[in-house]
Amino acid sequence: MDVSAIDYYANHGGSFLHRASAPPKLVFAGLVIASVVVTRDFYFLLGAYITLAALVFRTGLPAPRVITIAAYPAIFALIFAAAGWNGDWIGAGVIILKALTAALASVIVIVTTPYPDVFASLRPFLPKIIAEGLFLTYRSLFLLLDLMDNLLKALRVRGGISRGKIVRNVVNFSSGIGLLLVRGLDISEKFYGVMRVRGYDGKLSGGYVRGGSPACGAGAVLTGAAILALALSIRYEPGLESLGVYFVYAALPALALSAAWGLYPKWEAEAWKKS
Amino acid sequence: MSHIHIPDGVLPLWIVAAGWVVTALLLALCIRRVDSGDVKRKLPLIGIVSALMIAGMTLEIVPIAYHINLSIIAGILLGPALAFVSVFIVDLIISMFGHGGITVVGLNTMVIGAEAVLGYYLFQAFRTVMAGRRAGWASALAAVMSLFLSTSIMLGVVYVSHINPAAALHTEEAAHDTHGGPAGDVETEGGLDFGRFVKTIFLLAPLGWALEAAVTGLVVSYLYRVRPDLVASEKT
Repeated sequence: MDVSAIDYYANHGGSFLHRASAPPKLVFAGLVIASVVVTRDFYFLLGAYITLAALVFRTGLPAPRVITIAAYPAIFALIFAAAGWNGDWIGAGVIILKALTAALASVIVIVTTPYPDVFASLRPFLPKIIAEGLFLTYRSLFLLLDLMDNLLKALRVRGGISRGKIVRNVVNFSSGIGLLLVRGLDISEKFYGVMRVRGYDGKLSGGYVRGGSPACGAGAVLTGAAILALALSIRYEPGLESLGVYFVYAALPALALSAAWGLYPKWEAEAWKKS
Repeated sequence: MSHIHIPDGVLPLWIVAAGWVVTALLLALCIRRVDSGDVKRKLPLIGIVSALMIAGMTLEIVPIAYHINLSIIAGILLGPALAFVSVFIVDLIISMFGHGGITVVGLNTMVIGAEAVLGYYLFQAFRTVMAGRRAGWASALAAVMSLFLSTSIMLGVVYVSHINPAAALHTEEAAHDTHGGPAGDVETEGGLDFGRFVKTIFLLAPLGWALEAAVTGLVVSYLYRVRPDLVASEKT
């Protein structure tokens, strides 16, 4: 999980999803996850996943990398599918696609929305300590990843991590974590001191929802609503079970078009190709 | 080992909802318990400890499909109430990266939060027994016992939800060793040998517990040498 890359994607893209504000995108993710919870249809899930993949291409971000980030839960879904294996490929596919689709919906939101915006949108629904904790954890994560990067380099250079010496590796790695904690705490205490000097009284400023394009936000919500409506129709309306197959047929050209669009050089895609 | 990696839409809705309700109640209790002045002072510490837990959870140890949680360290450093809050923050953030479903954040917080809370109380108990010495050993023992109990809670969740249990753990051997029922929307029909599954888990899980206990013991031992105030201070 490359948190730095995710943060960079969220802050430097210019696609319609980047232009939408955080709340509609959270609603979009919620609707997609609700459809994943509701459905049992393999073809619907395949269609939804292809649609989301098409959206990823449409963002102009490096799609294979984004899709790979969202593929992490597939490892565990595969284990689940293997455990429940009874020769039914469709049943196994449903489990794997449920994991992939829900994760891709979440990842689309975080690669197109700066984390402070996501947290600011959640703030009204969370107790103050948790809302502030989310902001500080996010900030501390980058601080810690920097420290960890340096620590791992130092451990390797000085022979602290070597093949075959498991006990020594665990001892050195654990001391490294301890060192990280102490250094991280020192920095966070200084950070707290600075916050107090600047008038911190238990509420961080800056945690507000930034406005985005209403049209882009509405587009995201409508996409999510359409996916959920389809899931509900397939699940509860007799005679509409075959809609899932048509959904796949409709999603495939959308994916092809989005992929072609993503490959076509333009300003918002250029940045990733150069980097 | 105890982190529930079941994808969204697999567990029955009632157990997911129950997880959220119980977690919300426990969070409310924890927040009421801590003094607001103390919270302001400890927010940076919550941030660092939560970030460390996230970093630990993203480092997968491939051969045994295990990641360390560092939840016992969170319990020892933050105290039970703030550690539970920290665990919720961690679960919420990593679920957004697709690590554990968003709908199971409540259940994950319950299980890992139990680890942190039990870890704190057991650490204090072992330190009292050891007359304040050997903080490393006390924390390692607390880690083993907390992980045993949290794994039991996780197995309890699997049992009451009637799903195929191998999905709840990322333990490949367990998956191969379990004859699950149909996956579908995950209602098993007599294919589940829960007793056998429990035996398999408790045969494999100690590998993960030993690793987490070693890391916890060594980290706490290091902290006790360098910043004893962090380990020994009063917690709520």
